[in-house]
Amino acid sequence: MAAPPSRVVFLNLAQIRLPVGALTSILHRVSGVLLALAIPLVAWAFARSLANPEGFADIAAWLANPGVKVAAVLWIWALSHHLLAGVRHMLSDVDVGSRLWYARKSAYTVNIAAVLIAIAAAGAFW
Amino acid sequence: MKISIFRYDPERDSEGRMQDYEIEPEPHEAMLLDLILRLKGEDDTLTLRRSCREGVCGSDAININGRNGLACITPIRALGERAVLRPLPGFPVIRDLVVDMTQFFKQYVSIKPYVVDPGPMPDKERRQSPQARERLDGLYECILCACCTSMCPSYWWNPDKFVGPAGLLQAYRFLADSRDRDTKARLDDLDDVYRLFRCRTIMNCTEVCPKALAPSRAIERIRLMLAERAL
Amino acid sequence: MRSVLTGLRAWLVQRVTALYLLAFIIYFIAHFLFASPSDYDTWRSYAAQGDVKLLVLAGFVALLLHAWVGLRDVMLDYVKPISARAVALPLVAGALIAIGLWMLVTIAPLR
Repeated sequence: MAAPPSRVVFLNLAQIRLPVGALTSILHRVSGVLLALAIPLVAWAFARSLANPEGFADIAAWLANPGVKVAAVLWIWALSHHLLAGVRHMLSDVDVGSRLWYARKSAYTVNIAAVLIAIAAAGAFW
Repeated sequence: MKISIFRYDPERDSEGRMQDYEIEPEPHEAMLLDLILRLKGEDDTLTLRRSCREGVCGSDAININGRNGLACITPIRALGERAVLRPLPGFPVIRDLVVDMTQFFKQYVSIKPYVVDPGPMPDKERRQSPQARERLDGLYECILCACCTSMCPSYWWNPDKFVGPAGLLQAYRFLADSRDRDTKARLDDLDDVYRLFRCRTIMNCTEVCPKALAPSRAIERIRLMLAERAL
Repeated sequence: MRSVLTGLRAWLVQRVTALYLLAFIIYFIAHFLFASPSDYDTWRSYAAQGDVKLLVLAGFVALLLHAWVGLRDVMLDYVKPISARAVALPLVAGALIAIGLWMLVTIAPLR
């Protein structure tokens, strides 16, 4: 039998209605990648701040920079979402909130709470 | 109401297109499948699978307004004024709403969907206590319609390597069966990078299952079985 | 090539490191909220304590392991060509190991 020709596959994400848990999940992934990309920066800031008093002053000034503040708010959102979604997963592993009704509620909670935490952080920064 | 249907004929089209139909539901028509079948009566090139027309056979799974479901048990009044029907996402389209399920069934077969017991055949049946039988509730009812697997992003990215929710629900159905003696080999088979562990517990599977089963929970239980065995 | 960190083991590593990082991050947030180091000497003498050094070093090890399992999962889903994977996977692993070594030589000599 000849190999069938490559066929059409319907996979247009804009036309597929994803449930709220899918949003929590993809944001878990996006926030994880963002946090991973930030690791070198965090490591650099940590090392520099400990190197000498000038380094400490540099990092303190760097953190006061408006651009860095915006990035820090994004980072805090990513950290909050990643932690909350991670806790949700680990609870689900041991059968806490793994039923659909609870999973939907906790997905909404995670999505909203992470944004609220980021807004609170932004408020504290300015 | 308006129904938009994905049309694709591999002998004529290089890609799919949407075709719009105007149709008014009649009093005796309760489910979406009734409307599609009437449309097919008017345009016999419209191609779909259906058989039992009551949610038992699982052959009319399609993507309805962005969400997988069975046309035969989707009430027309739940759809509103417009329905957009597409083939199951992530599966190669054979024609219109009919998809190629070869890969799906390959994954299903790969988990050995039958009781394995190398011991001697009993004289009559393999006995099972009512309590042990109860543990299969919520697992055995799967009709293999593929709504779940076709809605699973982990399956979209690795359909050849990740078993997918339908297959994993059945994997757990046999792991949970008191008559099965193949637990070790079943768990060994799933303990690699892809087959079980591509699942990220997105739970789209449980969201769309027309039989209200919970593949995501079955997958979590398999992971716990693996963890308990290792620790 | 079969990696050591696959299947159940990778899953367990992801969860154990997650629990450690969770406790670690909550501790540090609390520390910075209530006892924010205002000058270099306070910060450095805090970081140079034996138990803090150990906590932070373990924190970086957990973070890098967690990031490796997570990033590999992402790449297994989206990076399809074997050739691209053969570049991306060692590149990420190398970067994470380098950061780990950098943090080791930063933290270990603190007195």
